[in-house]
Amino acid sequence: MKPRVLLALFIIPLGLIIAAVPQNTTKPYKLTADQLLSEANTRTQFVTPETVADMIVNKDPLLRLIDVRSQEEFEKFSLPGAVNIPLTDLLSDQYADILNQDISMNIFYSNGSLNANQAWMITRQLGYTNNYVLEGGLNYWFDTILNPQKPVSTSSDEEFAMYDFRKSAGQALGGGGVVQTEQNQTAASARPVVKTVPKKKKAAGGC
Amino acid sequence: MTETKELRKTRYLNPYVGGVLLGLVLLSANFIAGRGLGASGALKSTIVATMTTVAPDASERSGFVKEFRESHAGNPMKTWLVFEMLGVLVGGFISGALAGRLKFKVEHSPKITSRKRLILALTGGILFGFGSQLGRGCTSGSALSGMAVLSLGGFITMMAIFGTAFALAYFFRKNWI
Amino acid sequence: MGPLVINEIISENTNLFLAFLIGIGFGFVLESSGFSSSRKLAGVFYGYDTVVLKVFFTGAITCMLGLLFFSLFGWVDLGLVYVNPTFLTSAILGGIIMGAGFIIGGFCPGTSFCGAAIGKIDGIVFIVGLFLGVLIFGLGYDLWDELYMAKNLGSPKVSESLGMSDGLFAFILIIIALAMFTVAEWAEKKFPREEY
Repeated sequence: MKPRVLLALFIIPLGLIIAAVPQNTTKPYKLTADQLLSEANTRTQFVTPETVADMIVNKDPLLRLIDVRSQEEFEKFSLPGAVNIPLTDLLSDQYADILNQDISMNIFYSNGSLNANQAWMITRQLGYTNNYVLEGGLNYWFDTILNPQKPVSTSSDEEFAMYDFRKSAGQALGGGGVVQTEQNQTAASARPVVKTVPKKKKAAGGC
Repeated sequence: MTETKELRKTRYLNPYVGGVLLGLVLLSANFIAGRGLGASGALKSTIVATMTTVAPDASERSGFVKEFRESHAGNPMKTWLVFEMLGVLVGGFISGALAGRLKFKVEHSPKITSRKRLILALTGGILFGFGSQLGRGCTSGSALSGMAVLSLGGFITMMAIFGTAFALAYFFRKNWI
Repeated sequence: MGPLVINEIISENTNLFLAFLIGIGFGFVLESSGFSSSRKLAGVFYGYDTVVLKVFFTGAITCMLGLLFFSLFGWVDLGLVYVNPTFLTSAILGGIIMGAGFIIGGFCPGTSFCGAAIGKIDGIVFIVGLFLGVLIFGLGYDLWDELYMAKNLGSPKVSESLGMSDGLFAFILIIIALAMFTVAEWAEKKFPREEY
């Protein structure tokens, strides 16, 4: 048969299929609602303050703390080495390389865990991995690391061990009850600047 | 000397087959390099390279070179398009060789002379060269590749090229038919 | 997965080498389809040889469908594929000048390289003209750079501008192209010309 007719027989059905299928946007949701819900229910995205404190003290290079609060709150106090990505700017292109990668362990934190968990939900749904949430946020951080409660004498050995760990971590991190802003300044010098890494350069094309 | 002595008709691919193959080549370019095919960009690279070699200081101050440098760091000849066009030369040669079409000749309508054809070719080339820089692409880069990725600019350029050529075709018909 | 070089699955140098291979494919297909002959190229404007129309649109549609399906299967991220920017003034003006060049010279840059590769002297002369044209543009750049940069609309897609999905537009284009092919084949029968 005529080549044109043969061609038409092929491309018309293909065209119909592609026209009928919903558009793939550039930021597609990679997870279905069900998948996200089951992941959220397992709560595997949470990391305890002890884990984070440990990583900070040991200068774990994989750690990257992300403060999702506003810039003013960030400047008043932040965890050592944290970068500030306010929740409102979460999807801005400049941060895409920080949030969508598979080398560092990004840990979102906010004052409680609400905003940090929201950040996690959104980025997880976009298919990003290696993002976690600091359990209890800064409020819990203060209670456990910077101002740990001394366990009563009838507490278990583990609780004492935990208390010792927290205390030493807290001291290493400039804790002791009062937010010591001067100490935070020295920690601030280690705070990495949010390198606006140029997003994956699209191919320079054109003729 | 008439050029019509070739009675043996040369064989070409069926255009639809050729089109599908072309589409596959274009698809592989997009898949591998994230960009479509092109041609005029290689010309720009060559001219920039020549300008900067012949008159380095004046060239670096020229707006043209500066605009080029904005999107291409390093050696202007070490670009995707230059390598691609070198491949086009090789590919065209191989195809011509396999089909027995290798021959130095000036292809022109019997109604005009070789000389006239060459003058027209030169004029057309100058116009096209200028236009491709202004239009940021030629039929391969803007029209073909642009259409394949649904670029609005690509479509507009394509319609302008073909529209103008159709409109002017009547005035130049003596050169072709 | 794709585009490979942007997702750093292959290196930049591999990319350049592959560009060479892709070019070979491009040149081969163009020449095999007859694009090394200025007579065949100009034929679409007079009806006697519509190879340009058929190859061009079939090629664009094949790739368009290919990309959309690849994106559907998750094999390529269309957000990272280059979409030609739209500078309205220069796109139209440049297109008009190129159209004139096409009907006068009978070649475009890609096809002139094919023609030159098989020995067409008019192809070689066309290439010389191309370089002159680019040089003229470059030397006089400051005269027209405002024109060149005018009306930058970004990199919109046709489907976005028309407010429809990519797939729907692709389908419409397919129908339009098939209609054009039908007209083209009718025209070839009506305006035949002998080989020369």
